[in-house]
Amino acid sequence: MAVYKRTYKAYNGALTPAWSRFTVLTRYGLSTLFDSRPFTAYTVLCFLPFLGALAYIYVAHSAAAQALLRTGNAMAGTVNNDFFLGYLGFEAGMGFILAAWGGPGMITKDFANHSVQLYLSRPISRTEYLIGKVSVLAALLSCITWIPALILFLVKAGLQGHGWLWENLWMAGSIMLSCLIWIAMISLISMAVAVWVRWRIAATALMLGIFFLLPAVGQILNAILRTQWGNLINFTHMISLVWMRLFRESQAEFPPAFNGVPLWAAWASLLATCVACFWLLDRKLRAREVERS
Amino acid sequence: MSAIIEMQNLTVRLGNRIILNQLNGALSGRCIGLLGPNGSGKSTLINTLLGFYEPISGAARILGKEVKSNLRELRAMIGYMPESDAFIADMTGVRFVRYMAELSGLPRGEAMERAHEAFFYVGLGEARYRKLGTYSLGMKQLAKLAQAIAHGPKLVLLDEPTNGLDPEARIRMLQLVREIRDTGEVSVLISSHLLRDIEECCDQVLILKEGRIAALCNLEEERKANLKFLELEVTQGNGFLESVRGLGCECASFGAGRVRIILPDNIDLRQIYRTASEHEVQIRRMNYRRDTLEDIFLKAMAGTSQAASAQQGSTNGSL
Repeated sequence: MAVYKRTYKAYNGALTPAWSRFTVLTRYGLSTLFDSRPFTAYTVLCFLPFLGALAYIYVAHSAAAQALLRTGNAMAGTVNNDFFLGYLGFEAGMGFILAAWGGPGMITKDFANHSVQLYLSRPISRTEYLIGKVSVLAALLSCITWIPALILFLVKAGLQGHGWLWENLWMAGSIMLSCLIWIAMISLISMAVAVWVRWRIAATALMLGIFFLLPAVGQILNAILRTQWGNLINFTHMISLVWMRLFRESQAEFPPAFNGVPLWAAWASLLATCVACFWLLDRKLRAREVERS
Repeated sequence: MSAIIEMQNLTVRLGNRIILNQLNGALSGRCIGLLGPNGSGKSTLINTLLGFYEPISGAARILGKEVKSNLRELRAMIGYMPESDAFIADMTGVRFVRYMAELSGLPRGEAMERAHEAFFYVGLGEARYRKLGTYSLGMKQLAKLAQAIAHGPKLVLLDEPTNGLDPEARIRMLQLVREIRDTGEVSVLISSHLLRDIEECCDQVLILKEGRIAALCNLEEERKANLKFLELEVTQGNGFLESVRGLGCECASFGAGRVRIILPDNIDLRQIYRTASEHEVQIRRMNYRRDTLEDIFLKAMAGTSQAASAQQGSTNGSL
């Protein structure tokens, strides 16, 4: 084809590598999300805690800054596993809003006007489609969770001296692992909810419901059955339990509510959620749906 | 010409229903029409060729490659225009087509260039920066066609391309299909339940009925055959019919001067005029038979031995 000739012509040029096709979905997904100014503004807002934490670490290691702020020696030794756990917990909360805002819309838009069939008629599989979409959330959430957390970790190590780095290297692994578990959970739930309800507002509401209403249901179950197993449907609770273990928090420091469910049950709950999400995605993410009658 | 699409005992079941039942045949036209009443399995066949549905038995081959084992490679060579709405409402037309072209494997620059070209080609050049959600139905159909051809496929699958179009838009769409076909660089498969759409574009037609092949024939050959089939309206003239028969033609009179003649290969039309002149007969009207596809379709719909006829291959003899 040529604009001036207005005739059809086949394409015989080079093609991009097959493995890289999912990145097209990611690129367009990110671009579409950042077309929204409020979303862009909120994403920028998500980086403010990082700057705050960076400043805190600096002050904690600078006698001059402490003297200027008149904090005395109160901040000494506070940049530890609790600090990183707290930082990540806060960023995870902000990231959840980001995922609930941007995640479902990426898929519901494709379902709203049946464009999934167009994607899947191209040389990409359903898995690649999903990876492409999940990568959008994974990239965004990584940028506000484990990447800045690792930067903070390195800054702390730099200010503290090399010995601290080697003594606390496990914490870098905990930062990455805990964030990756959380990102995988949030992304999968976001995608699964979106393909299930196919309406952005409803999908976002359902996602909020999963994280805020299910815990209430869990508490009701706990009260009625006089058990702690109702916490299994409280994903925030389960993730927190896993995180506290990863950050080597001692059992004595756990809030009372965290003592009823064993760690293996928390892992099993998260795993079961992931399996349920995959099942839902496998059932619903299709170019054509078959009515089984 | 080598087969574009081959089917061997292709059977597809959706839920508890067999939708495509033991399809056999080879489609080799430059533009292949897929005809059949609603629910006959046209869209299911297209979806199966795209790998959306997996056959429970049998196989399909496109451009010599088996669909199941070469899906990725084949999808890069296929352009698909679905029957239903398929677009991203808040994306501009050109961005959407570029996006689809990139997913087909075109590098960014090439995809951008071809997206613009495709939009101009289908006649939406001026609307390419408008969001797809604001397009009229006809424009959406053209945008779907643009995304189907932007990556330069070797086979374009068009599922009911004229659905919902007004007469002018329909003519434009069919003209585009013919232009694409005539480039010789791409084969086209059109699914429709409108006989005229198929007749105007296609050189081969596959008719489905209740998931089975009711007919598979070459329209080009049918058209050539029809050039030998004349329908005349003449003033009464003694001996005209006898003289025509004397030339070696088969002919029959239906009263009121209506005559049908089948011309043998060695008889020229001018000899009919000459004979009419000799008998002082006026030829008031003369037509070649035109209702080919309708005849084929009606026969196919009435017929019951569809599977047997289809297996004969893509010749008129199969009807």
